[in-house]
Amino acid sequence: MENLQMLFMGFSVVLTLENVMVTLLGAILGLIVGAMPGIGSLAGVALLLPLTYKFNPTTAIIMLGSLYYANMYGGSFSAILLNIPGDSPAVMTALDGYPMATKRNRPGQALFTANSSSFIGGLIGMLILTFMGPLLADLGLKFGPAEMTSLLLVAMTSIGWLVGESPTKGVVLTLVGVLLASMGMDTLTGSPRFDFGNIYLLGGIPFTPFVIGTVGFSQVLKLMEERNKKVEANLNQKLTIKGSLLTAHDFKRLLPPAIRSGFMGTFVGVLPGAGATTGAFLGYAMQKTFKSEEPLGTGAIEGIAACESANNAAAAGAFAPLLALGIPGSGTGAVLLGGLMMWGLNPGPLLFTTNPDFAWGLIASLFLANILTLIIAVGIIPFLIQILTVPVRMLIPIITVVCVVGGYSTSNSMYGVIIMLLSGVFGYILDRNGYGVAPMLLAFVLAPLLESNMRKAFIISNGKLDIFFDKPISAFLLLVLFAIVLTPVIKFILRKAGVSKKK
Amino acid sequence: MKKLAILLGVLLLVSMSVFAAGQTEAAGAAKTFTPSKNIDWYVTSSPGGGSDIFTRTIIDIAVAENLLNGQNVVVQYKTDGAGEVGRLLVSQIKAGVQADHTLLTFNSGDLMPMLKNTSNRFENFQPIAHMAVDKHLIFIGEYSKYKSFEEVLAALKRGERIVLGGSKGDDIACHAALIKEIGVTEDQFSYIAHDATSGAITAILGGHFDLLISKPAAASQYVEAGKIKPILALSTSRFPGNLNSAPTLSEFGYKNVEVPNWRSIVAPKSMSAEAVAYWTNVFKKVSETETWNKGYIEKQKLVPDYMDSETFRAYGMQFQKEYLASIGK
Repeated sequence: MENLQMLFMGFSVVLTLENVMVTLLGAILGLIVGAMPGIGSLAGVALLLPLTYKFNPTTAIIMLGSLYYANMYGGSFSAILLNIPGDSPAVMTALDGYPMATKRNRPGQALFTANSSSFIGGLIGMLILTFMGPLLADLGLKFGPAEMTSLLLVAMTSIGWLVGESPTKGVVLTLVGVLLASMGMDTLTGSPRFDFGNIYLLGGIPFTPFVIGTVGFSQVLKLMEERNKKVEANLNQKLTIKGSLLTAHDFKRLLPPAIRSGFMGTFVGVLPGAGATTGAFLGYAMQKTFKSEEPLGTGAIEGIAACESANNAAAAGAFAPLLALGIPGSGTGAVLLGGLMMWGLNPGPLLFTTNPDFAWGLIASLFLANILTLIIAVGIIPFLIQILTVPVRMLIPIITVVCVVGGYSTSNSMYGVIIMLLSGVFGYILDRNGYGVAPMLLAFVLAPLLESNMRKAFIISNGKLDIFFDKPISAFLLLVLFAIVLTPVIKFILRKAGVSKKK
Repeated sequence: MKKLAILLGVLLLVSMSVFAAGQTEAAGAAKTFTPSKNIDWYVTSSPGGGSDIFTRTIIDIAVAENLLNGQNVVVQYKTDGAGEVGRLLVSQIKAGVQADHTLLTFNSGDLMPMLKNTSNRFENFQPIAHMAVDKHLIFIGEYSKYKSFEEVLAALKRGERIVLGGSKGDDIACHAALIKEIGVTEDQFSYIAHDATSGAITAILGGHFDLLISKPAAASQYVEAGKIKPILALSTSRFPGNLNSAPTLSEFGYKNVEVPNWRSIVAPKSMSAEAVAYWTNVFKKVSETETWNKGYIEKQKLVPDYMDSETFRAYGMQFQKEYLASIGK
């Protein structure tokens, strides 16, 4: 109950006119930043950070916290309406969101699904953060290199659920993703790898331009083929909030995946090095193992709910190690941590005791931001879906500009734009030949984590495999891994045995 | 025709005098440089990190002390190619107004990977000012097998294997110097590099290895909370405050090992001599303010060490020579 009391204390800090306005400002900026491809939470927080140096620390973190948080909402807008993920965690949202908006003709409902699952996931994450924050942070600490390696191996198997119809194509693209991710600096020794003597490639392929290209710009190339197609007057529904509401049945479909993903996402957010993007990928992959009313990838509500809920929950979960231990769970967390130092606070295990108004004020502001963002996001749905009535030939140059800006803004250089264009062409060729890019993107995110953790584990164990079996958490995860890998094989053998018996 | 000639003559005279006046004016301006436009200050790592805090602290002080002739500073983050792109860009700026208004935050943690991975060298920059030095300590965590550095040395003598975790760059160089001095192999006293010190702290808090190397600022809070304890100072003297309990290596009968991470400012090689003199002086003034010494140096537990342009050039060249020799380049 003490935590609840502290939370109320936090609300008393947040509910001043100044702080509410700042939360609102953060929420609006977060939505905009999130909706613009390329400028994700990391860039948004980094850009705003210098402006806050003169604020008092609590007000500053409230603004950045709500910006970070609202960003997870905004990313889904362009993913659903244009098939261009606004930020990296929204990559998976596009898989079902875009078909639901276009093929199934329910753009309003798709956006509504994304927003309400974001709200549910975020709320779960925040409640867990409030009552179990420090405990959760301690659990995160138990995940050392060996445990992370086993966990990531389990996560890698989820690629199997993403490959679609052709397993061969899926495996090929997974390996391509691993290969591309290994370019740049070797994570442990800092020596260059696959840089081909190019100074730009020394830093590897940046994820954001790569995603904008493979998912977004390839879409532009595809649209160019059908540029003269007239927009069918297909928006037979009214462009109002009322016309976008979910039916009770829709809501029933949304709830289970959103709640499951909420818990899983929070856990992923707490783990060292894994963030909202990994959370969204895993949320979606996990949904593949559960029943969905419509097949995933064709515009299923369950698909949108699973990943949107997971990425918001992960964003909330990432605050646990940050506040309880001063350890950033993601890139954005690292920037926030730098902010704490600039404001004159000492992030670390003492933060909750030395600056309770700050820590609890931030947590309370997340609750407030969650509600405010939901209201704003739902309120603008009717305006957003107007985008779908814009003729394709006008949409093409607009999306292209958005893609170029997004590619540029990652590192303020043309390098990002070039990567974006090249991966756009690459993505287009893949698409034309029936390859889905999702396995490649998941491999691209997970492979570097897996590599560095596995190599660290081997340094600790002096090259022995025992370390993965000696540690209980790791051993358990490996059991799960074997179960996942062997289940289809056993099923196959049993079925064969059954058939021969019948004969 | 004559009129035209006179007219041309007058025109020539006027233009010559104007030109001459312009020249003397230019020469006059060159003698005492003051910033006449926005200053572009490059930082080759992400906002919010150590280099960013260093840069912004200096800018804030310079603005507060009115040292920049009222001009604005625009911080440019160039993180492409692990920062190498930004460093190359600054080193190649051509002489002129832009070169005189360009600065780059440069640490030994930037110099070492640059020397190792590229052909860019310290002499391709104009040294401006060396501001401060950061040194390292070795810590134990709650779950560490060893309680003091004495026990670590004894364990190494028994042939036990020990793992040390830390960040990149200067931390790695520190580990290399340490194992060389105490005479053990990399295989016996291994190192795990993390992207940032915070990653290494996370791992030692979870008890995944026994020893941690860190600079004071990142570790200080955890020492205060009793989560980690300093057992060795990689410096020529003990640290002040809550880090004072850690002995130096010479107290165990070895030579002291230190690989200081210095924080400095450089400029394009083509910067004019007048501008160099101006900037060196600005940062000297910054280094003398109380805000700098109390609000930055003391808080981050750094060693203040201002060097002007020429002293810093000699120091940097020597550092480069020794580092290149140590990696066999």
